[in-house]
Amino acid sequence: MDEKEIIVCRCEEVTLSELELTAATYNCSARELKLRTRAGMGFCGGRTCRTMIEAFGIDKREKNRNQVTLKYQAPVRPVPFGKLGGKTP
Amino acid sequence: MYKAVSGSPLLLEIGVETMYDIIVIGAGPAGLAAASTAAREGLHVLVIDEYMKPGGRLLGQLYQESNGNWWNGLEESVKLNEQAVNEGVKIILQTVVYDIERQDSSWIIYTENIVYTSKQLLLATGAAESPVPLPGWTLPGVMSVGAAQVMTNVHRVKPGDKGMIIGVNVLSAAIAMELQLAGIDVVAMALPPLNQLTHQHSRPKEVMEALLHASHLAPSKFLRIGSKFMTNPFMRQLGIRLYPKSGISMWGIPIQLRKAVTEIYGTNQVEGVIIRTIDINGSPVSGTEESIACDFVCIAGGLYPLAELAGVADCPFYYVDELGGYVPIHNEKMETPIEGLYVAGNITGIEGAKIAISQGVVAGYSMAIASGKQGLVENLQDSIKKVHETRKQAAIRFHPKVDIGRNIIHKQWEARQVPSTNDATII
Amino acid sequence: MTRIENHPILGKLGRKKTVTFTFDNQIIRGVENEPIAAALLANSIRTLRNHEETAKPRGIYCNIGHCFECRVTVNGIQGKRACLTPIKEGMIVQSGKRFATPVRDWSGNHV
Ligand SMILES: Cc1cc2nc3c(=O)[nH]c(=O)nc-3n(C[C@H](O)[C@H](O)[C@H](O)COP(=O)(O)OP(=O)(O)OC[C@H]3O[C@@H](n4cnc5c(N)ncnc54)[C@H](O)[C@@H]3O)c2cc1C
Ligand code: FES
Ligand code: FES
Repeated sequence: MDEKEIIVCRCEEVTLSELELTAATYNCSARELKLRTRAGMGFCGGRTCRTMIEAFGIDKREKNRNQVTLKYQAPVRPVPFGKLGGKTP
Repeated sequence: MYKAVSGSPLLLEIGVETMYDIIVIGAGPAGLAAASTAAREGLHVLVIDEYMKPGGRLLGQLYQESNGNWWNGLEESVKLNEQAVNEGVKIILQTVVYDIERQDSSWIIYTENIVYTSKQLLLATGAAESPVPLPGWTLPGVMSVGAAQVMTNVHRVKPGDKGMIIGVNVLSAAIAMELQLAGIDVVAMALPPLNQLTHQHSRPKEVMEALLHASHLAPSKFLRIGSKFMTNPFMRQLGIRLYPKSGISMWGIPIQLRKAVTEIYGTNQVEGVIIRTIDINGSPVSGTEESIACDFVCIAGGLYPLAELAGVADCPFYYVDELGGYVPIHNEKMETPIEGLYVAGNITGIEGAKIAISQGVVAGYSMAIASGKQGLVENLQDSIKKVHETRKQAAIRFHPKVDIGRNIIHKQWEARQVPSTNDATII
Repeated sequence: MTRIENHPILGKLGRKKTVTFTFDNQIIRGVENEPIAAALLANSIRTLRNHEETAKPRGIYCNIGHCFECRVTVNGIQGKRACLTPIKEGMIVQSGKRFATPVRDWSGNHV
């Protein structure tokens, strides 16, 4: 990777140019962008990068104000060794 | 994805705690104030927080108010915590809430080892920082501006000897001053490089406009004069043009609205930054690059409401720029459309800690009333008024039009109260 | 990095109990119950882990538990956040290198 590259998703090391290219190639929504590049799917659950990934969708389509662009899912923090109260993954 | 709780063999290994009247997630100013308020009315309240100290993001705050007094977040946190404990609130720290679930008119709160249950649930999870990305920002020594604030004011360890702040906004300006107060050398504040993701942080004009609303914070001649004379767009344009290339200084820290940091360099950790002059649209001017040595860098891209648990509970959201992003829909009583689910503090929009406290009090009364406590309607009304008053006197405004943002979200609530058949966007 | 002993508003750092712990076998002294990351930084250590795939060095980013960049192994338990785990006497801390549960497995549930 070029040192001058801008990493957007720190967890998955997805770069700005990778995101731009994917967004242009597939003309995709932020959610699809996430699935295609893994940006936002890392260890932090997207807390660090989600606003940036969401920003990709904003110019492209009318923002759906009623719906969170990148869905929130449980568990909201990585669970150590499948422990989670009464839930077993 | 998961097994149902009841009948799970795992339940034998983990504990299930007796039902609380109210559980509060987040021991920040909003959560602690809510817990105290409800416990004072005789309710059984539990507060859960993943951090090691109570106080949330209030812990690191330190600024001088217009009356000359210092707002010392550490002290305020101790007070809020003591108050809650004295009212009989149980507070458990270093405990992550991973998931929440509504079952048979109560809430199930999943932590690592124990499942808690309650009748009412308050989400007071605060805010998170948004970054502005640039080459080199994953190097050790690069941190969010809030990270530097906590290291300095809470842990009392210098984030470094000499730092550069990238991103000029209300929060980074306040924290730059706090770093300097602690004897840390802030070389300069400058803008991030212009790209698709940073534009509102990278164009001098937009940054200037946003800053003008924070000018009461700045005992700097330029910003004070600025706020009076620069309301006229033409003057503002002129201001940026005339803006000295060497920058202006605030508390002795150079603020470079005409320079952008285009790269952070270093082999194993930060060694310095490359900075370039930019035109008023944020584009770098060729041949202007210089390198500045420093051992830490702060990234400041603003705050957004941390509402992941509201999302997990299927609470509807609405995007409001003025509030910092997607916000769970709620009313002035801090109720959400989900039965038994309340929100308070920065999860409802980015504002200062005093407003978070006042919202917490509102949520506390709302939950007490919902729990069947009588005679609190007036207290609730008064506490709602207090939120408005506190907002008027706020020392820090993260968004100049926060009042408009509040109206937008409350309108969304109202719209949901009248079932309408022709508005398909309402879920 | 140095500790801020005197602060014009927050006052002097009171005397606190010092404890000893190890970071990648190196003996480190810190203040009891301060976060691992603060104790390490006070000893000029910034790198807490290497990225699982690219091995690039990483340190604290958010310092409040949001970013998970500061993951270390504490007394054999992986994935602990150094920014909010208080140090205790004799703690064994190891820099994050590879995670037992591969990151991709975990995030596979996170689509
Ligand atoms: C880094 C940062 C710096 C800030 N600096 C300033 C400043 O200088 N001045 C200012 O006026 N405002 C500042 N703010 C804004 C700040 O959010 C408000 O001032 C105020 O602290 C908000 O209070 P709150 O109670 O809503 O949330 P917070 O104070 O953020 O408290 C939320 C609490 O919830 C806990 N939590 C969140 N999710 C979970 C979970 N899943 N499980 C368990 N616990 C959880 C957190 O650990 C935290 O303690 C800052 C915000 C941030 C993020
Ligand atoms: S930074 Fe993208 S998932 Fe963590
Ligand atoms: S530094 Fe972000 S989680 Fe520890």
